[in-house]
Amino acid sequence: MTKYAKRIREKDNVVTAVSDCKAGETVTVRFEGKETQYPCNEDVAFGHKIAIVDIEEGKPIIKYGETIGIASRTIKKGDWVHIHNTKDTYLCLDRDGKPLPGQEGENAPCAIS
Amino acid sequence: MEFYGYPRPDGKIGARNYVGIIPSTGCVNNLCTNLENLVRGTKAIRHDQGCLHPPHDTEQVSRTLVNLGKNPNIGGALVVALGCEMVKAEEIYEGIKESGKPVEMVVMHEIGGMINTMAEGTRKLVDLVSEISACRRERAGLKHLVMGTKCGSSDTTSGLSANLVTGEICRKMTELGGRFIQGEICDIMGGEYALKNLCINPEDGEKIVDFVRDLYLRGLAVGADTRGCQMTSGNVKGGITTLVEKALGANAKGGTVPIQGTLEYAQLVPEKPGRYIMNFPGHGFENLTGSAAGGAIVHLFTTGRGADTGHPIMPTIKICGNLNTNKTMSEHIDVDVSSVIEETETIEAAAERVFEYCLEVISGRLTKSEILGTESMEILIKGPVI
Repeated sequence: MTKYAKRIREKDNVVTAVSDCKAGETVTVRFEGKETQYPCNEDVAFGHKIAIVDIEEGKPIIKYGETIGIASRTIKKGDWVHIHNTKDTYLCLDRDGKPLPGQEGENAPCAIS
Repeated sequence: MEFYGYPRPDGKIGARNYVGIIPSTGCVNNLCTNLENLVRGTKAIRHDQGCLHPPHDTEQVSRTLVNLGKNPNIGGALVVALGCEMVKAEEIYEGIKESGKPVEMVVMHEIGGMINTMAEGTRKLVDLVSEISACRRERAGLKHLVMGTKCGSSDTTSGLSANLVTGEICRKMTELGGRFIQGEICDIMGGEYALKNLCINPEDGEKIVDFVRDLYLRGLAVGADTRGCQMTSGNVKGGITTLVEKALGANAKGGTVPIQGTLEYAQLVPEKPGRYIMNFPGHGFENLTGSAAGGAIVHLFTTGRGADTGHPIMPTIKICGNLNTNKTMSEHIDVDVSSVIEETETIEAAAERVFEYCLEVISGRLTKSEILGTESMEILIKGPVI
């Protein structure tokens, strides 16, 4: 059975699995009329993300064409991308670009899990 | 593309032809329910507000009720008052009258008790229903279409199917002259800068970020981090990694359609086609009311696990991409888009199918929530309740 993953925008460097994928399998992505195969290096559950290029530590994770977080360690093409290797950098900022109070330290949204 | 709707004296076109029973205070909700049960073709717009508010909330409740009465799905209205509440029934009456529709009013303190008010209200409703029931559907273009969007009881499939399909519908309908309203500031949080970049006027971009700041600071004032309120352990388990990712999945309901303007809660949407961001919450009851008061005649409601909420005066179409939910909650789901997840249908093809269904609903086909009567509403207030 073909395992599919979804790519949303051209700029994205991750795709989202819409089947449960096992390590060593390939996933098929249909995007803008083209079909592409990518490796899957580890077990990735339905709804979770797979890198489609190598992403260096500190570089953006891009989905929906936007930066959704920063790689907290180097991610290889085919790796599962989730909270273990992605940092949530969202802060609610004031009009001068400074964080509003109450968001200090490790108190980032994805720390809640 | 076109639909069949009810023409109103102010030039707007409605998808339904109800007489609205509009209480100025929650104190007369039971009376309104009794009237609704007694008189065919009416819809009671029950809410729990109207009194002991700070001035900003009195104004907001009043604006919401006037604009609900102006919604073209309402052909005429009966305003029902107790007589001592802060929200002024005369203002609602006069406000709705501006639209040229027939409006009547009953005040319980003046008439004396519920039984006599029921009698007088019933007589007035009979005349209103008789009058507006003569209105016939006419062909209308998409410039008359105002649509609301929202997601609720979402899961991983929402951001990968139903929301993307809705985004494609929004792209298409705005190109054809339509307008749509998006809000859910809690869901925009994390994606506010992406939306800011889509604003035609920079002031609107700043306003969207201000809506998010306001939500964050109001949470902080009561000791809550509203960023964390958005990310649940279920989200993380389901594969959502960051707040920004969650927000972008929700914002996908509007795709990359440029943003024409921002609206305060329950503010009427301007004439210009395009996408509007309203300051309404994610919570369904207040959210749907905000859309309806803004002028939406139909609402696209995407869901994953299966939400059942609809609004009394605005047909609410449930779109679901979860294969299992489409089976187990079938009596609540109007359109199944699990084909997008299963790779058997493209987003564009699914959008065409759902939009066709949407035009059928606007033209008279009943939604599941209308058939089952799963309709609720509330008006957003900031508080404190006094």
